[in-house]
Amino acid sequence: MPAKRVIPCLDVKNGRVVKGIQFKQLRDLGHPAELARRYDQEGADELVFLDIAASLENRGTREAWVRDVARELSIPFTVGGGVSSVDDARSLLRAGADKVAVNTAAALRPELVAELADAFGSQCVVAAVDVKRDADLGWRVYLKGGTAPTELAAVEWLWELNDLGAGEILLTSMDRDGTGDGFDLPLLDLASELPIPLIASGGAGQEVHFLEALEHGADAVLAATLFHEGILPIPRLKAYLAQQGLSIRI
Amino acid sequence: MSTLTLIDYDAGNLASLEGALERLGFSYVRAASPDQAAASGPVVLPGVGHFETAQRSLRERGWWSELPGLVAGGRPLLGICLGLQLLAEGSEEAPGIPGLGLIPGLVRRLGPGVKVPNMGWCQARQARPHPALPDASGAWLYFVHSYALEPTDDTLLVAEHGRPFAAAEARGSVMGFQPHPEKSGPDGLRLLRAALTWMGAAAPEAPCS
Repeated sequence: MPAKRVIPCLDVKNGRVVKGIQFKQLRDLGHPAELARRYDQEGADELVFLDIAASLENRGTREAWVRDVARELSIPFTVGGGVSSVDDARSLLRAGADKVAVNTAAALRPELVAELADAFGSQCVVAAVDVKRDADLGWRVYLKGGTAPTELAAVEWLWELNDLGAGEILLTSMDRDGTGDGFDLPLLDLASELPIPLIASGGAGQEVHFLEALEHGADAVLAATLFHEGILPIPRLKAYLAQQGLSIRI
Repeated sequence: MSTLTLIDYDAGNLASLEGALERLGFSYVRAASPDQAAASGPVVLPGVGHFETAQRSLRERGWWSELPGLVAGGRPLLGICLGLQLLAEGSEEAPGIPGLGLIPGLVRRLGPGVKVPNMGWCQARQARPHPALPDASGAWLYFVHSYALEPTDDTLLVAEHGRPFAAAEARGSVMGFQPHPEKSGPDGLRLLRAALTWMGAAAPEAPCS
C-alpha cells in the first residue's frame, strides 16, 4: 500500500496563482513555479493546479507555466481546468504535467475519459467531481465550477468514471468546501469502495479532519487555504498523521 | 565521464526528467534515433504508457535493434518505469510481444486485492548491496504503474503493493527503476544521482580527468 498523500491545490489564472477573497476579488500569490518549489520543499506529496480561467486564447500561457513547474518540481503534479479533448490533454502532458484532471467536459461527453485513458493510460486521468448533498440523489453532481446542477447521482457517476478508465477521483464536497468543518465522511465511505485512488477535497479546517478523511478510505487529502495561508504547515500535518500511525512520507 | 543520452520516443514526457538532470548538473542530449546519441556514456530509456506502443515506437526509431549491441559493448543503460519493464523478457500487458531481454524475468500485473494503478509513494527496501545505490534502504519513491517485475537475483530494491515487486534492478551495466526517481523528491534525486554517477555520467560534483 502506498503512503497516504497530502496535496495542496493551487488555482491559476492567466499564469498566476490566485486566491479568491469573498468570491470576488482575486489576490495574486505568485508564479506557479515559485509556489511549486515552496511546497516541494515543505514535503507536499503532489500538487494539483486548476486553471480557473482556461480558454483557447490562454493555452500558450498555460503551456509555458506548466513547463516551468515541471522543470522546478521533484514531485508529481496534475493540471485541470477546461480540458475537453485529447489534444488539450496532450499539450499539458507534453509540457510536463503528470496527470490531467477533467470535470465538466467529461460529464457532457463521458467518452472523453475513455479516449484519454486509451491515449495516455489511466494513470494520467484524474476525474474531478463536485457534489452537493441532495434529498433525491443522495449527492448531486454539479458542473462548471459548481454553478450548474446535473441529474447525475454522485455515486453512480463515480462508478461510471471508473468503468470509463479514470485512474483517480478528486472528489469535492461543495457543502463542506470553505467551511473548515471537516470532510464529508459518509460521502468518502461510499466513494472509497471504488477500486481506484480517491482524493478527498472540501472542508479541511484542522489536523484531525485530514486523519478522519484518511480513516474513511481516502488515499489522499487536498486543501488550499490552510496551506497557502500557513495556518497548517504541511510538515506539521504530516508529522501529526504519522504520529497517528498512518503511512506517511516524512 | 561523459554526456548522457536521453532516448526521446514519444512515450512519456521528458520535461521532468530533463529538469532533474539539469538540477543535478548532468549534461545530456536528447536522441530520437541512435545516430543522435552521444558517442559514449550512459543511455537513459524513460517511458510511460503501454508496453506494446512503446516497443513499436522504439522499433520505428531504430532503438530496439540498436540497444542490445550497445549494451553488449559495455554501454551503461538505465530504464525508468516502463523503460525498466521494456528491459525484461516480456509483459503480461502485451502477451506475445518480446521485451529487450537484457534482464531476466517477466512483468506481471499488480493485484488482485489492491488498487491498480499503484499510484503514490512507497518505501523501498534494499534487496542486496550494490555500489550504484548505497544507502537506498528506506527511501521514499514515487510509483505510477499497473505492472511490475517480480523480484529476482538482479533486484536491488524491493517495494510492496499487495506483494513484493522489483523497484530497482541491476545486471552488468544495465540498471532500471520502477518508480520515477525524477518525481520522488530528495530521495529520488539522491538515488538518480548515485545511479548515473556509478554508470559514468559526467557530474560536476565528481570531476574526472
